[in-house]
Amino acid sequence: MRKIRSNSIEQTTPLLRWVSEGQIEEIHFATLEVLERTGVKVDHPEALQLLKDAGCIVNENRVRIPSWLVEECLRLAPRKIVVANRKGQRVMPLEKNRTYFGTGSDLPYTIDLETGKRRRSGKRDVELACRVMDYLPNYDFVMSYAIAADTSPKVSDLHQLEAMVTNTTKPMIVTAHDEINMRAQLEMAALVAGGKEELRKNPFMILYSEPISPLVHTNDGVGKMFACFEYGVPVVYTPGVLSGATTPVTKAGTIVLMNAEALAGVVMAQLKQKGAPIIIGGGATPMDMKTTATLYGSPETMMNYAIMTQLSQFYGIPNFTEAGCVNSPIPDAQAGMEAGNGILMAQLMGANLVHDVGYLEGGKTGSLTFLTMCNDYMDNARYMGRGTRIDEETMAVDVIDEVGPGGNYVSHEHTFKHFREEIWSSKQFNSSFWEIWEEQGSKSMEDKAEELTKHIVATHTSELLDGAIREGLNEIIAETEKVKSNK
Amino acid sequence: MSDFTSLAELVINGNYNGAKDLTQKMIDNGNDPLEIINQGLMAGMNVVGVRFKAGDMYVPEVMMSAKAMSTGIELLKPLIADKDMPTAGKVVIGTVKGDLHDIGKKLVVMMMESAGFEIIDLGVDIDPAAFVKAVKEHSPQAIGLSALLTTTMLSMKDTIEALKEEGLRDSVKVVIGGAPISQSFADEIGADGYAADAASATELCRRIIA
Ligand code: B12
Repeated sequence: MRKIRSNSIEQTTPLLRWVSEGQIEEIHFATLEVLERTGVKVDHPEALQLLKDAGCIVNENRVRIPSWLVEECLRLAPRKIVVANRKGQRVMPLEKNRTYFGTGSDLPYTIDLETGKRRRSGKRDVELACRVMDYLPNYDFVMSYAIAADTSPKVSDLHQLEAMVTNTTKPMIVTAHDEINMRAQLEMAALVAGGKEELRKNPFMILYSEPISPLVHTNDGVGKMFACFEYGVPVVYTPGVLSGATTPVTKAGTIVLMNAEALAGVVMAQLKQKGAPIIIGGGATPMDMKTTATLYGSPETMMNYAIMTQLSQFYGIPNFTEAGCVNSPIPDAQAGMEAGNGILMAQLMGANLVHDVGYLEGGKTGSLTFLTMCNDYMDNARYMGRGTRIDEETMAVDVIDEVGPGGNYVSHEHTFKHFREEIWSSKQFNSSFWEIWEEQGSKSMEDKAEELTKHIVATHTSELLDGAIREGLNEIIAETEKVKSNK
Repeated sequence: MSDFTSLAELVINGNYNGAKDLTQKMIDNGNDPLEIINQGLMAGMNVVGVRFKAGDMYVPEVMMSAKAMSTGIELLKPLIADKDMPTAGKVVIGTVKGDLHDIGKKLVVMMMESAGFEIIDLGVDIDPAAFVKAVKEHSPQAIGLSALLTTTMLSMKDTIEALKEEGLRDSVKVVIGGAPISQSFADEIGADGYAADAASATELCRRIIA
């Protein structure tokens, strides 16, 4: 029998907590106070009625939500939401401490892969980004990345979904202009999944909808969310803020306000439908007080997401944060630092859906090359997240004895057996000696990533979507455009 | 230091209580109200504008300075005939139809107000007809359109067309801004100007209204 050490606790992965359990409760109680004292504004008639009937104090569209109702709804919201891929395989269970990375949506500008010039984004940029992310293993889900600005503005969101489902099988998060377009997207998703029942069983799509800070819940934002629940499609309902402009400038105040908005969403969701799959969190970015830019890559955002992740774990509700999104306009050293820090933090905290990976210029410019670079940053973070293995085999006392003073380990069996998992290796990062690096063309990481991206774009296509389904998707888009034009 | 310099200094420091007290004192001492504005309050605010543009002052500091200036102006207003009130110009501004983003627009409004413009803020989700109506009602020298969405920026063009149809285009300058907007888009739709941020929005309006 193996003899075990007594009182032994093993820590398989690093354990990162930003604040104490008591401080999380403090934030929770402050949030309840905001909902009960200040309340929220709700512009969706059905939601307003539901809140009224459930016991909220409603004054026109101002709703004060009692603490007990918030806590009851928190208990009803699912702790686990399983998201499938396009093929119905349940690949992305959103459970506490499981981290998934993906990009964000709707970038107005793209740095062209061929010309290197920044230009307006189009539908082809959505297609290419999805193909690149379909190929790169550390992207677990996709969003549109670019905005299909060259399609009809009435239905550009539908075009984005079409581009996404035809170019990747990975799970996806979508944005929608309004409830009409949301319903059209749900029909498109049902078509791809093989019917509404199949979509409900194994949803491959999540909606990203937003309240408007401070404390406003719009008719469109709530309407889109409710439509998804009818189809069993999960919803990210989270604010995107600017600390110091739409929330208090303090980090704690930002978190309390955002949490109040998210929890109001949880209440509306659970009143609409018990067990409705809702995901909380949000974009907790400060405003640059010099330039007014949205600070996506700042230390504050990462600190905020750490606490917001802890909060969601305290509630037992999956969460949505950001990382790998930067303020640098180009994929340079600043971008690497901003992206790397955020990605590592998200991984170590165990955030669930980590989006906006690969955003440049504070969420306005995209670059396929940067998307590819981020794949290696995520790989690196995931590697660190796996932690340090400590046991007899890895402490290698026998091997140390065998080699003895003055020997070497490079030809030892033990090294051969473990080096791949014990030393991280990247194709994109440079680590060669200067002369060799020169011989190989003096390429920066960015140069190499650009080459790989071009290779992916030239050679990789995702599993094809059935021709009849593609036709059906285009019919829904055309039909919706007609409906909208007649309005 | 003269009272005027002190007043300007109080504005620069965002000391609104101090600015209020000193303005009152200067009124009581019989200083000319217009001079108090031009050589005290506005003089301070002009320095603020320059420092902000240079990155030496931050938005919240500018806001406090603007507050200091306006507490002074509130006291002076009753003493000055409306037509004599100094203004950099009148501008109607709004976020275009279908668009709910308003932080950037609000900042533009606050910066321009602090630079002495009179602003009529129509809010968000404003359709071309509402802009036209506001132009008729307020006769501004310029209108500012804000759009953050590629899907809504086309409404800027519609607004310009609507102004043309009503024969108002020549009487009002059109300036535009927001994340997806560029100079080339402004040229394309025939706007009179584009600015990338709030500080340059103020400069732009000064330039084209002058
Ligand atoms: C905050 C934010 C929101 C908030 C807005 C809250 C509010 N009260 O305004 C919320 C969460 C509600 C939101 C919603 C959506 N958003 Co949004 N949002 C942003 C974000 C992160 C910051 C915008 C901001 O306020 N910046 C700070 C201010 C100070 O800067 P600014 O707006 O650019 O303004 C400055 C200048 O542009 C200029 N300026 C602005 N207006 C004017 C006007 C004139 C006349 C002049 C001269 C100058 C000028 O001066 C300002 C001050 O310096 C941007 C990303 C980004 N980095 O821009 C996305 C962004 C604008 N949103 C985007 C999208 C897609 C959406 C949604 C459709 C997403 C969804 N899930 O449905 C919805 C649409 C809602 C709607 N119908 O309007 C996209 C737009 C893509 C596109 N071009 O179409 C962006 C670029 C992010 C992204 N890549 O996805 N959003």
